[in-house]
Amino acid sequence: MLSFHEILERATRGPIMSPKDFDMKVFIPKVREVVEKYKIRYDPETPCPADDELADRIYQAAFDLFADVGTYVLDTQRVIRFDRKEIEEAVYEAPKEAYFGEGPDRCVFKARKPDDSEIPHCHVGSGTDTTEDVALKMVEAYGRISKAKTVSIPSVTTVGPMKSSAGSPVETLAGIYMMRIGREGLRRAGRPGMGIINHMSSCAHGVSTIAASNPDFGARPSDGWLIAPHAELKIDYSSLNQVAYLTSWGANIGQEAGPIMGGYAGGPEGTAIVATAYCFHGILVARATYHLTYPVHMTHVCSTTPDMLYVVSISSQAVARNVGVPYYALGYAAAGSGTKQYFYEAAAYLLAIQSSGTGIEDVHPNKAVVTNGALPIDSEFTCSLGHGMVGVSRKEANHLIKSLMATYLDGIKNPPKGRVLDECYDIRTMKPDGELRSTYDEVIRELQALGIRFK
Amino acid sequence: MPEGDTLRGIEDAIVRGDGERCSALVQKALPETDPLTIIQKGLMPAMEKIGDQFTCGEIFLPEMLMAAEAWNEAMKLLKPRMLAAGESVSTIGTIVIGTVQGDVHEIGKNIVATLLSTAGFEVHDLGAEVSASKFIERAEEVGADIIAASAIMTTTMTYQRDILEHLKASGLRDRYIVLVGGGVVNQEWADEIGADGYGQTAMDGVRVVKELISKKRGK
Repeated sequence: MLSFHEILERATRGPIMSPKDFDMKVFIPKVREVVEKYKIRYDPETPCPADDELADRIYQAAFDLFADVGTYVLDTQRVIRFDRKEIEEAVYEAPKEAYFGEGPDRCVFKARKPDDSEIPHCHVGSGTDTTEDVALKMVEAYGRISKAKTVSIPSVTTVGPMKSSAGSPVETLAGIYMMRIGREGLRRAGRPGMGIINHMSSCAHGVSTIAASNPDFGARPSDGWLIAPHAELKIDYSSLNQVAYLTSWGANIGQEAGPIMGGYAGGPEGTAIVATAYCFHGILVARATYHLTYPVHMTHVCSTTPDMLYVVSISSQAVARNVGVPYYALGYAAAGSGTKQYFYEAAAYLLAIQSSGTGIEDVHPNKAVVTNGALPIDSEFTCSLGHGMVGVSRKEANHLIKSLMATYLDGIKNPPKGRVLDECYDIRTMKPDGELRSTYDEVIRELQALGIRFK
Repeated sequence: MPEGDTLRGIEDAIVRGDGERCSALVQKALPETDPLTIIQKGLMPAMEKIGDQFTCGEIFLPEMLMAAEAWNEAMKLLKPRMLAAGESVSTIGTIVIGTVQGDVHEIGKNIVATLLSTAGFEVHDLGAEVSASKFIERAEEVGADIIAASAIMTTTMTYQRDILEHLKASGLRDRYIVLVGGGVVNQEWADEIGADGYGQTAMDGVRVVKELISKKRGK
């Protein structure tokens, strides 16, 4: 595979282009071309297609796209280009397993296939904004979920009375604080070695992430650091600086790519192709050992509408069948925490990704924009469904998803807000109150009646 | 081709994002049709249609951007004619728009900028990671009516407040309408920092800007 040094060389030697020309003259026309060339058509009746041939066409379209478009570097205004052989070689040599954590908490995150009979990698937690007073308790609660293999720690945006701003010293302090809280929370849960794989949600800038990774604060190379490209197929020096640092440290790098449906990629067909192409970007540019995908709807800003389920399902299948790297997907529900609609949306998303061959992560309530809006019961739901539905096929998932969507699609535009952690949990014991537990139990019974299994 | 057909052709060319055809038809129409009529009966209906289709999810950003490019091609031909004829190329208002400091996310802002420019505003797009002082400096330079600031992260929305505080500190607060938007922004935040308006969606943003500018001018 091309070395990282070669990537950096190309970032300063590649063809010069304005960002607008990259979008308008290179990216958009090529996406349209490959959608037509490979005859990709979205069918709203099939949010979770069981069509291997379609998944492979998506893969070929993504390959053509990345080979022609490459990656745009915002700081140098140059394009890193790759030839087809270089991409093929990268796919062949990309790590097919990632190892997280230490001691008895160490785990392996393996690639899966569509319709796989193995239990998916269960990742819990969320980088949702969380207040300092409950952040430690949240991590501890996540760590206590025995089916969970790895964890995301919350994002805090304050340090005492100071509010964090991107790129400010307070952000660096918030990142360091959260790293310490993350490790301490897992120690309290009795799982000190558990891998924290969302470094660092509290940090928007590379310098804060790098500062928080000092082992004195509890960080380890066996955790996972997320590198985010910009929409679409663009990267900046802040991210490449993180890659330079993390590869030098020998740490796990994950690429978190969230192509925007309705944005430069166009409709669901183009977005599915771009989501797949990000995998090449992750391997070659971000040097990823694991990959997180989270396509988002530009208008609804959630991922549980039929077009978004199609995008995440078919692109995950394309990657699972043709690349085979540790891959998981994050969904955003429109509905707020603890509402019935949230659990229905979450079930649809989890079924789509699990059957398509990815690992699973908690679907984030309230589009992840409400402070203290993520609940530990979300994680209980994720793991219980993931284990219960082991071996679910795409065909069965599609059938169930359609039943689930019938209950929530009308509620996407004006979703129920739900309640935040402080309103529905006893913070001292981190137990849900009677109302939330009763809603949860009722939802489980309703979902079981539809044919969804929990364990 | 009768005038009505040519104007419909211009509308169709913009909707399809075909800048070349649009220019050819504008050139064809110009000897007999005055530029203002071409704008009102050819260009404006096209962008209204594009705006509606975008809102309904029938088309996406690429189609909108291509339509805006076709619009710009047409305006390149129409503006000099209007100026030569002594007509003023008046705009509804002048707006300085950008994504705030520390935030590189531009898509939402680009959509709003595109919609505003095709709705008759003079738009100065400052791009991403724009500091509060740069917003104000540019607004002063171009005599803007509106400053519009987008932020998509909880850690960058605070920079929207900075713009308002800088304006107050310079004694310029009353001179500008300040509009905020972005994924994490809501009406409560707009109220808290003292912004004049907030748009939940791109179309919303355009509507709010139109309302605020009418109000400012007492219409």
